[in-house]
Amino acid sequence: MELTLELRENAGLQWVLDDLTPMSPFGRAAARTPVWYGPGEEAALERELDNVDLALGLWKAADGTPLRRVTRCLPLFHDIRGSLDRDPDNPFDLVELFEVKHFLVTLEQLAEAYNALTPFAGLSLRPMDAALDLLDPEGRRLPAFSVVNSYHEGLAPLREEKSRLEREIRTAGEADKPALLERRRVLTVREDQMELEVRAVLTKKLMAYQTEFLENMEAIGHIDLLLAKARLAQRNRCVRPELSADGALALRGLRHPQVESDLAKRGDEFTALDLKLGGGCTVITGANMGGKTVSLRAAVLSQLLFQCGYFVFAESARLPLFENVALILADSGPGAGGLSSFGREVHLLDGLLRQAGEGRFFLALDEFARGTNPQEGAALARALVRHLNGLDCVALMTTHYDGVSDVAGAHYQVAGLVRELEGDEQDDPRRRIARRMDYRLLSAPPGAPCPRDALRVCRLLKLDPELMELFQADL
Amino acid sequence: MKKLLAPLVGDAPLVTVIGLCKNAGKTTALRRLMVELGEERLGLTSVGRDGEATDLVTGTEKPDLYIKQGDLFATARGMMTLCDVTLEVAGLTGVRTPLGEVAIFRALSDGYIQLAGPSAAGQLPPLCERFAALGASRVLIDGAAGRKSLAGAGVEGTAILCTGASQDRDMEQVVAETAHICRLFSAKRPESPGLRAALDGCAARFALFGPEGEPWELPADETGAPRWNKLPRERCMLWAAGGITDPLLKTLARRGAPLTLAAADATHVLAGRAVLDLFTRTGGTLTVRRELPLAAVGANPWSAYGWHFDPNRFIDALRQALTVPVVNVKED
Repeated sequence: MELTLELRENAGLQWVLDDLTPMSPFGRAAARTPVWYGPGEEAALERELDNVDLALGLWKAADGTPLRRVTRCLPLFHDIRGSLDRDPDNPFDLVELFEVKHFLVTLEQLAEAYNALTPFAGLSLRPMDAALDLLDPEGRRLPAFSVVNSYHEGLAPLREEKSRLEREIRTAGEADKPALLERRRVLTVREDQMELEVRAVLTKKLMAYQTEFLENMEAIGHIDLLLAKARLAQRNRCVRPELSADGALALRGLRHPQVESDLAKRGDEFTALDLKLGGGCTVITGANMGGKTVSLRAAVLSQLLFQCGYFVFAESARLPLFENVALILADSGPGAGGLSSFGREVHLLDGLLRQAGEGRFFLALDEFARGTNPQEGAALARALVRHLNGLDCVALMTTHYDGVSDVAGAHYQVAGLVRELEGDEQDDPRRRIARRMDYRLLSAPPGAPCPRDALRVCRLLKLDPELMELFQADL
Repeated sequence: MKKLLAPLVGDAPLVTVIGLCKNAGKTTALRRLMVELGEERLGLTSVGRDGEATDLVTGTEKPDLYIKQGDLFATARGMMTLCDVTLEVAGLTGVRTPLGEVAIFRALSDGYIQLAGPSAAGQLPPLCERFAALGASRVLIDGAAGRKSLAGAGVEGTAILCTGASQDRDMEQVVAETAHICRLFSAKRPESPGLRAALDGCAARFALFGPEGEPWELPADETGAPRWNKLPRERCMLWAAGGITDPLLKTLARRGAPLTLAAADATHVLAGRAVLDLFTRTGGTLTVRRELPLAAVGANPWSAYGWHFDPNRFIDALRQALTVPVVNVKED
């Protein structure tokens, strides 16, 4: 499945990915391109999650020294993939050889530190001693590179002669200097030619290890990403999701990290949610500003994170694998190509339903069809719920329309504006609503009417009293 | 060769050679200093030149420097082929230029090098640390023509200002312009500890302070821009974070009330000498957050354009006008 930027951003996955802290350029590249585990790849996904678990254990270990030996190496790597993407007949320049040597020295240190840990499943670093010996014939493992004399039999005598000449130049009078400098110039040209020959030979020999280089970079990136995933999970109290046996989603203590972080900045707390989604379409109803969209996004985010091999933001999670995960938000604005927000919704839905035969999918819809007239909108929403019940999918829809939950597989309602409070009239309206709102999702019987909270929400938002009076009279 | 520059720079860990104009003798001064410093292990780089292989202004190739075995230097990767010393790559800096990333090299033999270092002086402090870690006892920087190569360097050190006949046909003009720049570089930090503390804490574009550094409200219009004509008439200090230009200085001079103007350092004062004179005549004084001491002025009586001054008259005229020591960089 393609994780489009729109999906990543709408669900909050991008926010989570941006919150990762990989330390090497290879880890950063790996974090930018999440791996998707679809149905049939359960074993690979479990192995990835086992590895995250293992990494979490490393971060939590009482003695952090073994892990620190690894994490100290990771930021030292430079991205040399560009240098290695070359014709072996095109010699590396001196700085490129330095970078390759620097990579190999750092790799050696990393491998030593990594091999001292319990290794991640399926992840090993291939030793490249022979390649390093090419660049470090004296075995000194210093972080510097030059074409030393032992590379070419002609270098030592030539450099010896040049050095003698340079000593002469230092003490020579101005009149003698030009002739000496000219003799030196001739020697430097020959030295340059010899160095070029050495570089050409080294390049050919090093490029024979191209596969090992690239596989090691891949492995370093993966190790780095696993450590970053575990770090993220540790920071955010994430949990390892279990693979659902019955194809249903069961989330307990679910949170949305992006919303939670925004709330935390204002000094507020996120109300964790419990949600069970079986086959067919589940409907969420509830007051405005009751967090319906947030619960929808949180569910989609968990599913995406799981299928990318991440822990999820919940106390416990049991999730299945889908071929496709989609989120259609009501307020993501008018789409391209001259479509209104309603037209866009319908267009996106149509595209998804056409692929429905290709495998089980998860669809989340935010206030579907709210952009058209309420009578037709409600009828369309009802029809969609019925239609989805007949497909091989799990769907979740929020709505304000009555009658939609009647046909749904299950129905949740936001507990809503249940708390009666007085005396905070001067406070920020958002906080006043938050204080009165119980954001928990409660199981509700099918067909339970949608709550009528618009009036109270308007009052709490201090809508113009004259308008409020007319509004109330009309209800 | 007589040691003229080495005694003047003393044991400053960093020396930047800057030029008043193109062909002011910057490279001559640098070469001379390198010779005078003898066996000292040097770290060399340039700053403020944007990595072009030939000098865009005069079309001439950038001059070579002949360094000794053991010296370190930082230059763009693209300059590597123009260096004929036996090279050891000692590290990379992460600083990118049009000619590639700046790398640090160690010279394993004597020979010629070409410098194209960082383009912004702000990138110098970490580079100086690397040089020191690799064993350099002093860092020499080939600065640009003009003052920008010192801006924001944030490294304790000194500078040599090179001036010469290439600046103008008229010797009087060259001397006056040199004196103007030297006067800027002589700007000191405020005496009062209160004012010093106030300056060190400044983050705003503009800020106003009383005589002991107490913050005063800066009169502003509805867009937030300062209203210069509403500044208090008594002596106060105005902090300006950016460049101090002719128009700003003129506006402040026109008020006709005493004012201390505080700049980040001398390189931020871009105003010409006529306007600075006007500002000073109306009671204005200049102060800086960071002093940039000049160790010496290097004089080059020869221009690149065909005319030259009488060496002795030129040096004498400069010595009359300046308090900083003046050195004829061509003197044996």
